[in-house]
Amino acid sequence: MSVASVGMMYGAGTLALMFTGMPIAFALGLVAVLFMMGFMPHEALDTVTQNVYEEMASITLLSIPLFILKGAAIGRSRAGGDLYSAIHAWLNRVPGGLGIANVFACALFAAMAGSSPATCSAIGAAGIPEMRARGYSPGFAAGIIAAGGTLGILLPPSITMILYAVAAQISLGRLFLAGIMPGVLLVTLFCIYTAWKFTREFRAAEVAFREHGTTSAYLDRKVYTLKEKTEMLPRVLPFVTLLLGVMVALYGGYATPSETAGLGGLLALVLVAVVYGLWRPGQITPILKVTLKESTMLMFIVGMSLLYSYVMSSLQISQSAAEWIVGLQLSRWVLLVSVLLLVMGLGFFLPPVSIILMTAPILLPPLKAAGFDLIWFGIVMTIVMEMGLIHPPVGLNIFVIRNVAPDIPLGKVIRGVLPFVGLMMLAVLILCLVPQISSWLPDLILGAGS
Amino acid sequence: MSGGHASSGEFLQVPASGVLAMCARLMGAINTAATTASMLALLAACGVLTTGVFLRYFLKVPTDWQDEVSVFLLVGATFLSAGAVQAGRGHIGIEAIASLLPERLNRIRRSLCDAASLAFCAFFTWKSWTLMLEALNEGQTTSSSWAPPLWIPYSLMSVGMTLLCLQLLLQCVLALAQAGSLAGKTEVSQ
Repeated sequence: MSVASVGMMYGAGTLALMFTGMPIAFALGLVAVLFMMGFMPHEALDTVTQNVYEEMASITLLSIPLFILKGAAIGRSRAGGDLYSAIHAWLNRVPGGLGIANVFACALFAAMAGSSPATCSAIGAAGIPEMRARGYSPGFAAGIIAAGGTLGILLPPSITMILYAVAAQISLGRLFLAGIMPGVLLVTLFCIYTAWKFTREFRAAEVAFREHGTTSAYLDRKVYTLKEKTEMLPRVLPFVTLLLGVMVALYGGYATPSETAGLGGLLALVLVAVVYGLWRPGQITPILKVTLKESTMLMFIVGMSLLYSYVMSSLQISQSAAEWIVGLQLSRWVLLVSVLLLVMGLGFFLPPVSIILMTAPILLPPLKAAGFDLIWFGIVMTIVMEMGLIHPPVGLNIFVIRNVAPDIPLGKVIRGVLPFVGLMMLAVLILCLVPQISSWLPDLILGAGS
Repeated sequence: MSGGHASSGEFLQVPASGVLAMCARLMGAINTAATTASMLALLAACGVLTTGVFLRYFLKVPTDWQDEVSVFLLVGATFLSAGAVQAGRGHIGIEAIASLLPERLNRIRRSLCDAASLAFCAFFTWKSWTLMLEALNEGQTTSSSWAPPLWIPYSLMSVGMTLLCLQLLLQCVLALAQAGSLAGKTEVSQ
């Protein structure tokens, strides 16, 4: 049987098994083992567990549970609400300041917690009711939080980026740094849109008041005194210090990414204990349970995805597919657009973890051959996968928002989110035109090179 | 992390008494113990990595052991908690089709998925134990200068996978029992 036929059976079998609803990790493992039985020497089956262990026993990969622990500890506390309130008070005079405060709070919380759904949930719980109480339309408020939450997988420490660094065999530190300026670009685009949309809704409220006497909460502005603003800082500063401390430890050469994860996890637990009094076993246990639930599920998918990729490579499927793509001699931009559309399509059904580990062996060699920098591509791919988090038909963040604010109809949430999907596409376009946005910071701090 | 994909599905009903109820209670207790061990391993890994940074930078003590200890702890935490995660249907799958199926067909689909998962996990468990025994008999160690024995992480993987298999087996048996009792009820009503 030709490699192409085996490859098509491998892909079709995987999709068929996954759509039965079987857990992704076990489906990937089962397909890999069945194809080992059918198409590889019998002895290969004896190496299944050793392969999975050796791939998983990477300290970089195993830092994932520790980053999740840091996020769970911060997410479980009231840090999200406090962070949001403090930024809101300080940005109160800026047009659309409340919406912009939500975007900033999402970005900072995402950088601390590293999880998009956790960010949506933590900032949205406080932010959406406040924005609606101040007159923001429900869809607009939901869109800000859903989109802001996606920053979690772009800003370091991002679990998605850890996996991409492993799959693409590139420097994790450099990749983390490469995500910062594109993250700032997205935050800026989100803020500009928020200010513009606020101004439109504010003017509409003014006109409605002038012409029909209809009052709107938009027209009442709460003013904070300097004392009120400063009083909000003490609860927020320790967490911002944690964020900065972790970055200094990582890029100051004091700690490796995995040590940073361990340090961050422990410090986050200490901070929630000191600042919010969460220190009793009954308060810490839920944090650890949530961490285990998410990290075990994720690490099983990672382990089995790596086994799946190993079988794909042993059967020459990934090499042949990569050669076929190269042989098509597509122009580099057509190749890039095709790859990104594929990633976006897969994002409707699969978590970023699986997309990266399953497609990297096939997609990265042609992209490298076409002259694309794999670190830059990692950032672009991450933004495209972020779109999958807020893009119908699935869009995990949309469902998190539905939990936080169940009275906002799904249609309004989707309409509120779509402009942000457009902004993300714009960010991808800007990154294609000016790739230095992602490479400038790593080159500055770590020196030029790949 | 993320992914727009769903989850878990409904939980099976555990009978109030009988052998199955006892098995479910026992499995619950084992899962609680395994989760507690995993939680401690997670905290210990944080402690080890943090201590490593301090030892290296403040006391100038080499810490070539810290990465391997952390890997063993985190591998242990991951595998030991796998059964407990499965008990809460925490291993996610694509449930797009599930939402379209009628309840009876959906129950059959879920049972078949559990059976297929059990088949794969049973194979993996068998190979894990084989690997562990091989490492133990041959005295295999890691390739680092510290060279700890490999049977330690392999045994954690084997025990964890065994617990996962037991949990899946329990879920399969509960599904069968539930299907049997539902069929019985239908016959009685006819």
